[in-house]
Amino acid sequence: MPDSIDRQRRLIIGAALSGVASRAFAQAEAPARPPSSQRMEPLRHVDAGVLNIAYYEAGPADGPAAILLHGFPYDIHSYVDVAAQLSAKGCRVIVPCLRGFGATRFRDSATLRSGEQAALGADVIALMDALGIQRAVIAGHNWGGRAACVAAALWPERCGGMVTVNSYLIQDLARAMVPIDPRYEVELWYEYYFQIERGRAGLAANRREIARMLWEDWSPDWDFDDATFDRSAAAHDNPDFVDVVIHSYRHRFGLAAGDPAYAELQRRLAPLPQITVPSITLDGDADGVLPAGDGRASAAKFTGHRIHRVVMGAGHNVPQEAPEAFAAAVMELVKA
Amino acid sequence: MRRIRFISDGQCRNVEFALKFVSEFAVTEIARAPRAPSSKRLEPLRNVDAGVLNISYYEAGPADGPVVMLLHGFPYDIHSFVDVAPQLAAQGCRVIVPYLRGYGPTRFLDPATPRSGEQAAMGADLMALMDALKIQRAVFAGYDWGGRAACIGAALWPERCIGLVCVNSYLIQDIARAMVPARPEREVPLWYQYYFQIERGRAGLAANRRGITKILWEQWSPNWSFDEACLDRTAIAHDNSDYVDVVIHSYRHRYGLADSDPRYADIQQRLAALPAITVPAVTLDGEADGVAVATDGRSSAHRFTGRRVHRVVPRAGHNLPQEEPEAFAAAVMELIKA
Repeated sequence: MPDSIDRQRRLIIGAALSGVASRAFAQAEAPARPPSSQRMEPLRHVDAGVLNIAYYEAGPADGPAAILLHGFPYDIHSYVDVAAQLSAKGCRVIVPCLRGFGATRFRDSATLRSGEQAALGADVIALMDALGIQRAVIAGHNWGGRAACVAAALWPERCGGMVTVNSYLIQDLARAMVPIDPRYEVELWYEYYFQIERGRAGLAANRREIARMLWEDWSPDWDFDDATFDRSAAAHDNPDFVDVVIHSYRHRFGLAAGDPAYAELQRRLAPLPQITVPSITLDGDADGVLPAGDGRASAAKFTGHRIHRVVMGAGHNVPQEAPEAFAAAVMELVKA
Repeated sequence: MRRIRFISDGQCRNVEFALKFVSEFAVTEIARAPRAPSSKRLEPLRNVDAGVLNISYYEAGPADGPVVMLLHGFPYDIHSFVDVAPQLAAQGCRVIVPYLRGYGPTRFLDPATPRSGEQAAMGADLMALMDALKIQRAVFAGYDWGGRAACIGAALWPERCIGLVCVNSYLIQDIARAMVPARPEREVPLWYQYYFQIERGRAGLAANRRGITKILWEQWSPNWSFDEACLDRTAIAHDNSDYVDVVIHSYRHRYGLADSDPRYADIQQRLAALPAITVPAVTLDGEADGVAVATDGRSSAHRFTGRRVHRVVPRAGHNLPQEEPEAFAAAVMELIKA
């Protein structure tokens, strides 16, 4: 992706948006990071919809709720710093393992291991219902950012505000067969690989190597160590991981049928519903898979108050790479 | 500016010693001739009905010289041999450089013929061309798709093959094992193959064929500094109206995800057994090949039952004949002189 990795261009984007981009992050206040050995523990478990969801909780039980949603191929430790920072500021932080990840399990062996966007959104609402949380700031990146968008768009009454990386992430399945610039198609190699059974076998056999490659490609400036990677990669040993991932990447191209249980939700997602709740969208200026933009392309999808920022130095895993920027965005919505 | 560079024998890593045959040939010094400019085209082209195709080809050299069939790959064209062809012609060879099916002015004779890109078809096309030109025997030399065609011709019709020059050794596809994953770092360069499995990839190839070609050239040949004119000269061969169909079929068929043309079923059945190559062979790997990593030739040694020499060519990427024409032409000449 020559454009996105061009430092000059990235700096120019950053400068163009400096009115908003420079406001939040002096970076000088970045506290020391916890060691890579720190795990988000203990985990709690709750039956929620079709899942028994494992989640980490921190902060005062009566604080404003913030639900932090991880992506692929990551896990809850994308929020290891964000969760601590938000709980210290009085938030009740909930960080669930998505379906197919970590200690989350399907309750019924017969449930389709769907990775479709509607399922991820429904899981968020099911979790909120199970925990008796009426409203929350919903924040995420990658798959988790998509789940946040789905929840915010379809259940705005449950969402006090939304933070996502890469702006509007609800998939336009009707246009999934429209090619993009081949320089960007190259970066989606894993999505195409997963379309055929060789890719399923490859993911099953080499999930750690593939995840590590994607981390490195997507976050070229992020100097994570082996312990940091291993901590997250362990979540991919979930027995449903391969099925959910493969289904996710086939469904988004229209090449796997959805779970009928989510047909109505998917029907509502198809017209690409607008997000009406207050939103802050973040792009990592070094994002190696989704190049940073100025937010204008998705502006029409946000009808409420929306701020877009480019986070300098961050790749695709913004919450783990630039936790202060991510936490600050959540806090702005909590306080609003 | 004329520039002569040399390959020292220290640079050229012969691994012949590891193989059953030790060549007398030693690369000591090969003068690098000046390269043809990017404006140079292999012309005029000739045309001949051959099998299901009307094949467009370039011919050079004496009509009674030993024949060399030079077979290009994807996403390239006959200009991969723009320097090899005159070098071989100057040494007395009759050089035939066909556009493969789907490329350049080569056309299918019948609109109803499936636009197959399967390996058996490539081999059958080679034989059909030789029959049409009444060539009994030739050296088969190619890389990528063309290397595969050369391997097939050599394996199934050894009586028609004086010798084989192939980049990346044994290229007949083991379709029965196509669903076995490779190491992830080797899967990444195959992004286009996976892209082509779905209709988005077909649409992407149709819309952005030049852009895809440029990316693949850059990825596969990191040391090759081709210019836009060089790319353009080849890219127009991809405007062939059958290009997208043939390419997509090729990359789906090799994964068992597209049907064969029934007319090639017998050939494909013979290829499924991964037949050995019995004719003399020189295999070359580009040291900097970005898609098929250079090897020492041992993993494919059992596929060659005749004398076989394997070499790693310094600096070269995947498009070895265009990048290092002297090394490629020298391999051909060794087989002719043998």
